[in-house]
Amino acid sequence: MVKAVKGTIVKCDPAVKQVILSLDKKEKVIIEDLDDNHLLIDTSRVDYIKKEVEKLLEENTYKSELDKAPN
Amino acid sequence: MPTVIVAHFKTNIYEYLEALQKSTLDKLYEEPATCLAIFRLLPSLARQLVMSLLFSTQIMSKADLRQWIKNDKESLSKFEEALDKLQKLHIMIEQENKTIALNSSFKQKFQECLTGGGTHQSFGKLYNKPHRHSQSNSHKLPDIKTLDEHAKTKWEEILHFMVGTDRMNSPGASVLKVVTKANLMREKEGKGLEITNKGFQFLLQDVNTQVWAFLIQYLDLASEMLHMNVVEVLNFFFMLGSLELGQDYSVEGLTDTQRQLLDDLTNYGLIYRPKKSSKRYYPTRLATTLTSGNSAIVSNSSSNNPTDDDDSATEQGFIIVETNYKLYAYTSSQLQISVLNLFCNLQFQFSNMVTAELTRESVRKALKHGITASQIISYLTSHAHPQMKKRPALLPSTVVDQIQLWEMELNRLVITNSYLYKEFRTFADYEVVLKHANTLGVVVWSSDSKKMIGITEAGHERVKAFIKRKIVQRRSNGGDTTSSAGGTPAR
Repeated sequence: MVKAVKGTIVKCDPAVKQVILSLDKKEKVIIEDLDDNHLLIDTSRVDYIKKEVEKLLEENTYKSELDKAPN
Repeated sequence: MPTVIVAHFKTNIYEYLEALQKSTLDKLYEEPATCLAIFRLLPSLARQLVMSLLFSTQIMSKADLRQWIKNDKESLSKFEEALDKLQKLHIMIEQENKTIALNSSFKQKFQECLTGGGTHQSFGKLYNKPHRHSQSNSHKLPDIKTLDEHAKTKWEEILHFMVGTDRMNSPGASVLKVVTKANLMREKEGKGLEITNKGFQFLLQDVNTQVWAFLIQYLDLASEMLHMNVVEVLNFFFMLGSLELGQDYSVEGLTDTQRQLLDDLTNYGLIYRPKKSSKRYYPTRLATTLTSGNSAIVSNSSSNNPTDDDDSATEQGFIIVETNYKLYAYTSSQLQISVLNLFCNLQFQFSNMVTAELTRESVRKALKHGITASQIISYLTSHAHPQMKKRPALLPSTVVDQIQLWEMELNRLVITNSYLYKEFRTFADYEVVLKHANTLGVVVWSSDSKKMIGITEAGHERVKAFIKRKIVQRRSNGGDTTSSAGGTPAR
């Protein structure tokens, strides 16, 4: 019996996939773990995931002191 | 690089023309000026073919035409491409018996246009009456400099308005309509208009591309909202392209639609009129270079008034980028500074230059507005200062790479709304569906080991229908009714 599940396929690198996996522990968003680079997630949660991933990556980006100083 | 510019702007108007109905195109070809303008837009091989067929009375087949072409792969593919273009524009028609003929009205009018036969004012009617005050010298023809000045101020007014420089007053209502319709700008709650990402991309183009893009949008608007006849409008645009700079033309003989066009185009700087009620109009360089492929205002005006440093600097390029992401722009034009401000962090402004820095933040801001990394890079490349051209690589590779990395960083998630097909009973079932979906080009992802296929939202219905068909087929074949790809996809 074939089944079709509606969702959103997210293509990402393994690092980002781990971030999403950790988000999934807090709140269920993943419908199906496809492979190292692909996940099927709940379409309604896409914006949330985008925002959270962005936030986490931003925290882990090196910023020089010069950039922070107001021009 | 002029070649790139020309190719780019051509595709724009091409696409528009190709999308037109055959009947509309046929009507267009009734104007000799339009025939000439479209002829000029064709690639050289297509032009060659048209010229060869134009005065020929013999019946030709495609095979005959191919005889003229050098028998190697490259030439033949160019030939096919040219034929394809000509057929899409309905200039060349392939009949059932494999013979090829030119569109009859195109053939007739284009012949007329080249030989100067027929009575028409397709190329604009010169204002023949002597100037009333010409003896007294109080009323002189506007010289080319005035025209260029007019074109430049009007056009830059639009651009300035888009980047939101304060000192400019808002351009005419018709300009506003076009920019909102074209989605270059959109309504901000209660606070007028703000620029969209399409608008940002628009700003990084060269003038000729901008003018065409603008006119095409205007055309859509004209046919939808102002109920103008597309053919008349297009004919008018193409006619403008064949007018002579510095000449005065008469408004007599123009249709009402075209008179209304005159007003709008005066607002955009394509046309200059001394007074609104004037019986004369002058095309500016923006108009006359429409179909010639020469870059508009900037390049030509610098040769005419070499004293104008601003223009010549623009033409040569004015931006120096250093390996440490610092950027020096030798310009005093508010417009160019505003454009730079789209993706740089401006630091200091001097009388003839500004210094700026490309930072992660500034580039990300631009990327988020929808400007792509390659657009930024090509803008920097095409406006690079002559000094930069002495280096082996025009832009420092560190900077180019970094801009691209910043873009990739933003796109770490690639998202496709889709349906995941799973739980195929056999591998063969899976394979059949995958093969079909692949030919439809709707597969996002698939895994042989998991027997799962991700299908785009758009392709879902078709794949679903395919599976249902397969099931019905199997049942009617008296096969195993209970097994295989049974059941309708859930949800």
